[in-house]
Amino acid sequence: MKRSLGLLAMVVAVAWAMPAQGGQVLHMYTALDTAESQLYIPEFEKDTGIKVEWVRLSSGEVLARLRAEAKNPQVSIWYGGPSQDHVTGKKAGVTVPYKPPLDWTLPANAHDSEWCWVGYYFGAIGFASNTEFLKRAGVPAPSSWQDLLKPAYKGQISIAFPYTSGTSYTVLATLVQMMGEDKAFEYWRKLNQSIHHYDKSGSAPVTQAGLGEVGIAVSFSHDILTKGSDKGYPITMTFPSEGTGYEIGGISLVKGGQEPDLAKKFVDWALSVRSQNLMKQWFRIPLNPKAEVAKGAVRADQVKLINFDAVKAGDERDRLIKRWRSEIGQ
Amino acid sequence: MSNAVRLENLRKVFQGRGGGPVTAVDGVSLEVKDGSLVTLLGPSGCGKTTVLRMIAGFETPTEGEVFIGEERITTLPPNKRRTSMVFQSYGLFPHMAVFDNVGYGLRIRKVPGPEIRTRVLSMLELVGLAGTGARLPSQLSGGQQQRVALARALITEPRVLLFDEPLSNLDAKLRVQVRQEIRRLQQRLKITSIYVTHDQDEAMTLSDQIVVMHQGRIEQAGSPEEIYARPRTRFVADFIGQGNFLAGTVRGVEDGRTEVEIAEGRFRVATGGFRPGDRVWLLLRPEAIGLAAPGAGRWKGQVSTATYLGGEVFYEVAVGRQTLLVKVGHPKGGAGLGAGDPVGLTFDENSLHLVPREDKG
Amino acid sequence: MAELRKILRDPVLAATIAVIAVSLFLFVVHPLYKVFQMSVVEDGRLSLHVYRDLLGKPFERRPIYNSLILGALVAVAGTAVGYLFAFAIARADVPWKGFFRIVATFPIISPPFVLSLAAILLLGRRGFITRTVFQGWWDPHIYGLRGLVLVETIAFFPTAFLIMLGILQAVDPALEESSLNLGANRWQVFRTVTLPLSVPGLASSLLVVFVESLADFGNPIILSGNFHVLSVQAYLHITGMADFSGGAALAVILLLPTLVAFLLQKYWVSRKSYVTVTGKPSPARLSVVPFTRRLLCGLCLVVAGVIFLLYGTVVFGSFITLWGANYTLTLKHYVSVFQIGGGYLRDTLILAGVATPITGILGMIIAFLVVRKEFVGKGLMDLISMLTFAVPGTVVGIGYILAFNERPLLLTGTAAIIVLLFIFRNVPVGIRAGVAALQQIDKAIEEAATNLGAGTGRTFVTITLPLITPAFFSGLAYSFVRCMTAISAVIFVVSGKWNLITVAILGLVENADLSQAAAFSLVLVAFVLLALGLMQLGVGRVATSQMGVEAGG
Repeated sequence: MKRSLGLLAMVVAVAWAMPAQGGQVLHMYTALDTAESQLYIPEFEKDTGIKVEWVRLSSGEVLARLRAEAKNPQVSIWYGGPSQDHVTGKKAGVTVPYKPPLDWTLPANAHDSEWCWVGYYFGAIGFASNTEFLKRAGVPAPSSWQDLLKPAYKGQISIAFPYTSGTSYTVLATLVQMMGEDKAFEYWRKLNQSIHHYDKSGSAPVTQAGLGEVGIAVSFSHDILTKGSDKGYPITMTFPSEGTGYEIGGISLVKGGQEPDLAKKFVDWALSVRSQNLMKQWFRIPLNPKAEVAKGAVRADQVKLINFDAVKAGDERDRLIKRWRSEIGQ
Repeated sequence: MSNAVRLENLRKVFQGRGGGPVTAVDGVSLEVKDGSLVTLLGPSGCGKTTVLRMIAGFETPTEGEVFIGEERITTLPPNKRRTSMVFQSYGLFPHMAVFDNVGYGLRIRKVPGPEIRTRVLSMLELVGLAGTGARLPSQLSGGQQQRVALARALITEPRVLLFDEPLSNLDAKLRVQVRQEIRRLQQRLKITSIYVTHDQDEAMTLSDQIVVMHQGRIEQAGSPEEIYARPRTRFVADFIGQGNFLAGTVRGVEDGRTEVEIAEGRFRVATGGFRPGDRVWLLLRPEAIGLAAPGAGRWKGQVSTATYLGGEVFYEVAVGRQTLLVKVGHPKGGAGLGAGDPVGLTFDENSLHLVPREDKG
Repeated sequence: MAELRKILRDPVLAATIAVIAVSLFLFVVHPLYKVFQMSVVEDGRLSLHVYRDLLGKPFERRPIYNSLILGALVAVAGTAVGYLFAFAIARADVPWKGFFRIVATFPIISPPFVLSLAAILLLGRRGFITRTVFQGWWDPHIYGLRGLVLVETIAFFPTAFLIMLGILQAVDPALEESSLNLGANRWQVFRTVTLPLSVPGLASSLLVVFVESLADFGNPIILSGNFHVLSVQAYLHITGMADFSGGAALAVILLLPTLVAFLLQKYWVSRKSYVTVTGKPSPARLSVVPFTRRLLCGLCLVVAGVIFLLYGTVVFGSFITLWGANYTLTLKHYVSVFQIGGGYLRDTLILAGVATPITGILGMIIAFLVVRKEFVGKGLMDLISMLTFAVPGTVVGIGYILAFNERPLLLTGTAAIIVLLFIFRNVPVGIRAGVAALQQIDKAIEEAATNLGAGTGRTFVTITLPLITPAFFSGLAYSFVRCMTAISAVIFVVSGKWNLITVAILGLVENADLSQAAAFSLVLVAFVLLALGLMQLGVGRVATSQMGVEAGG
C-alpha cells in the first residue's frame, strides 16, 4: 500500500510538472501593480478570447527572473516597467524584437531602435506630500530637487531602492543626466539623511505618504494620483523646478517564449485606442494620439522635462546601481 | 531423533554505548533435539536473549550459522522463519481484541475466515481463555495476557517455540502455576521449545536440557540432574542451587576416585578428570549436610545464624575459619538451634563433588 | 555483510530505503549543493571572489551583524517569555491554564507577517497608539531592530514555551519534594533544583529560537526598514539585482550559524537531558507561594493582552476603508478577498492539500526506518531529513530555483516544485512526531507481528501506523499550517500558474494596502483554523504538545 501511494504521488507530481499544453494561454510577467493589471488584462482576455496567466513582480524582479530563466523561459511577454529596464533586458539578451503595425508614429524615444521594446505610456516623476504633515510642520510642498534637502523635511522622505524599483532608478538616472554623475551622487548622499526608509516597490512611498508614515514621497505622477489623492489620502502633487525625468512604460517579447504570436497580439492591443483609453483610470498618459487623457493627469507640456535619454539610462543601470549601493550603503 | 535447531559457532558483536565493541555472544554451538524443551539459563548480560533473538531473526549473527532442521536460516528475515516467540512483555497488539491478536498469524497466512474462527476458539480453550475473545488486552490480568501471547504463538504451528523470560512480570505463585501449564502444553504438543530465563527454579522444572551461559559462552549443557549434581565449573555450581566451596588440592587419583586435601581433612571424591597437584573447589551442597550432637559427626562447629523459612531452616555454621551453609528440613534432629549453639556436622563422602579452581591471586 | 543481505531479502524494505535515499538526495542535498556551488564557482573555476567582494563592503557585512544580534535578542526574550508561561502553567498552577495555553500557541498558526502588520498599524508613525498615547510626539521607530524584536519575540516564544513545558512536566516531582523535605525554601528549590534541571531545555530553546529568528523572512521584509538582515538581503540580491552568486553567498553565510546552532542542539544539548521520557506528563504542581502565583498570572495576562491587542488590531484594520485617512467601517476588503484572492486561496489550498498527506506519510516512514531498522547510512538519512528544518527557507528557495531550472529536472513554474518544497520543508515535523511516538511503543509488539509472519510493509501498516495515529495526525495538522503560512522559501518559486496567498499578502503590505492585507490575513487564519478543527473532529485529539517545536515560515 505504501508503494502504490508513492507511485500515485509521483504520477501526480509528474503530471503537474508538464507545462500547460494547447488552448490559447499567454504567460506574462507584469511590472504593473496587481490592482492596475486587473484593469487591463481581463479586458484583453475579453476582447481577444486569449487567457492570460500572469505574475506581478516589481520591474527589477522581472528582469532578474527573465535572466534566471533564460534557458527555460516561463513567460512570453514582459508588460510594464520603465523603458530603461527593457533596455537592460535587451542587453541581457532576454527579449526579441517586434514591430507592431501602427497607423500612427511612435516617437523615437518611445521605442527601441531595433524594436526590442515598445513604449505605451508616459509618466513624469513628481513629489507627493501629505497635506496634514505640511500643515503641522508649517512648510510648503517641495518645489525643487534642492528643496528636498531642506532640514524641514529631514527624516520625512520615502523612495524605493533603485535596484528593486524602476521608478527609483529613473530618479537616479534623471539626477545623473541632470547634474552629472558625481554631483548626482553627492546630492543623493545628502538626500539619504532625510530619507526615513527605502521601500521595495516604486509606488509604495506614495501610500506611506498617504498614511502619514512619511511626509513626502518621490514617485511617478500617475502613481501619486491613483494611490494618493484619488484614493482619498490627503496628498498634494508638485514637480521639481529644475526639471524632472520621466519614464516611458515598455512592453517586450521574451526570447524563447512559448507563445510569441499571442504576445504580439497583446502588444498590438496595448497600443490600440481601446486599450489606451483604459489607462485613464490610472492617470497614465497614452502614447496613441487618438486616445483620451484623464482629467487631472499631467501632460508633458505641463511640466518641465529634462532631455532624458532612456537608452543611456538603460545602458548605465548596472554600473550606477553598483555605485549607488557602495556609496549609499544600502 | 533429529535436531530441530542447530547453532554453529554463533558470535554477535554490538557497538557499545561507550564507543567500543561489545561481544554479547562468543562462539555458541548447540543442538536441540526435536520435541525437547531447552532452557538457556544465566545472569543478565550473559547473552542468552541475544542467542534467542538470533534464532528468531531479530539479530543477525556476526559469525556462525543457525539451522532449523537441515535448512540454514542465518540470514532469513524473521517473518519468514517458522519460529514463534513469546515475549517478556507479551507484545500484545493493544488496538486489537484478543480474538484478533490470536488470529493475526493465521490472517497473514491467508487462512480462510471460518477456519480462523474455529482454530482461534479452540486455541483459546486450550490455554484456558474461553470466552475472552472480544476483550482488549488492557482489560485482562497479567496471567491472562501471558496466555494470549502463548496462544498467539502456538496457533501458527511453528517448528520452534521461543520463550523470552515470559514469566518475569508475574507474581511468585502465578509463576509456578503458569510454568507448569507451559510444560504440560509443550509436552502434549511435542513442540520443540527454547526457553530463556535467569530463574533456576524455572529452568529446573521445565527443561529437558539446561544450557548455562556466562559472558557470551556456554559454561555447561546437560540435564537438570547433571547440571545440579555434577556441575563442571564453579560458576555453574554457584548459579544453580547453593553450595559450600572449600579450597583444596588434588593429592592423588586411585580407583576412579580423586583424593583431595582441604584444610579440614582429606576426602576421596567420585569426580574424575583431575591430576595430582590440580587446585580444586570441593563442593558440598547444604542439603547434603546433616546435624549431629556437638562433638559427634565429622566436624565440630558453632551456629552463627539460623533462618527459619517455614518448611526448612538454613543454618550458617562456623567450622574452623569457614562458614558453611546447612539446610535442614524442619523439624528434624537438632530442632530449633540458635546462634552460638555448638553442633556437629555429618555428610556422606559420595555427595562430594569437585570443580576446578582458578585463583585470582 | 550479513546486514545488507538481510535487507536485500526484504524487498519492500530495500525499495523503500532506496526511494527515500534518492528523494532526499534530489530534493534536499542537491539544491543546497547548488547554492553553495553558485557562490564559489566563477567562470567554471573555484573562487572565493564573491565572498571577498561581499565581506569587503561594510554595507554588505552589516546585515550579518544585524541578523546575529537580532537572533540573540529574540532568543533571550522569546525563551524568557516562554519560560514564564511554561512555569506559570506547570508549577505555579495559575488559573485559566487552558486560556494561557491557547495564547501561548496561537502565534504558530498565524502567517508570519500579520504581527508586523499589526505593529505598523499600532506603532507606526501614524499608528493608533503613536497618535493617541504618544500624541505623535514620540516616534517609536518601529521599523528596524525594535519592531523586529517585539514581533519576532511574540512569533517565536510559543516554540520556547512548548519546549520548556515539556521539560518542566517531565521533571520527577520527587526531586523537588525531597529538596523541600531537606529544608529548602521555595526560592531555593527553584534556584538549586528546578532551574538547573531546566537548563537543557533553556539551552535548546535559546538555540531553536535563535535559528527561527535568523531564518525569519516575512517579518523583516516588512518591518526591517534600514536594519537590513541576511534573509531579506539574499532575496533582494537575487530578485532585485539578478546577482545570483551574491545572493547564494549571503545564503551560505546565513546557513552557517543556523547549522551550527542546529547541530549543537541535536547532538549536544539534547543528549544532556536530565529527564526520562515517560510518555505521561505529570500534572501541574503548585510549588510557589500565592504572591508569586499572582505575579506570574499577572505577567502572563500582560503578554496575553499584548497579543490580543496586536491581533485585534489586524481584525479591526480589516474593516477600515483606508487606514490613516478614512476610518469608516466597510466590508469591501473581504469582498475583494474573494473576488481577487479567490484564485490564490484555491491554489494555496490545493497545493497544501496535496503536499500535506504526502508529508505525513513520508515522515512516518522515515521515522519508522530511523527508529526501528538498522541499515547502512541510517545516521545520514536521519540527519539529512532533518536538514530542511535547520536550513532557512531563503536558502532552500534559492536552491530550488537553481537546481530545478534545467532538464532533466525542469520544475520551475510548475505546481510540482511548490509541492516538493512544501513536502521537504515540513517532513521534519512529521519525522519528529513519528519518532517520539515510536519510542513509546513497546518494540516487542512490532517484533511479535514480524515473528508471526508479517513483512515490513504489513507490520508498518497493520500495527505501527494505527498505534502512532495521534502523532501522525498532529504531524499532518502542523504540516498543513506550515504550508498555508509559508513564505520565505516559496516566494522564489511562485509562477503565473500557481500563486500563493502569502505572497499576495506580502505584495499588499509592500504596497501599504494594509486593510486589504489584514482582510486577506484573517481569511487565511480562518481557513487554517477551519482545517485544524475539521482534522480534530475527524480524528480525535491533536497532540498540541508536539506541534510548535518547529515553528517558523
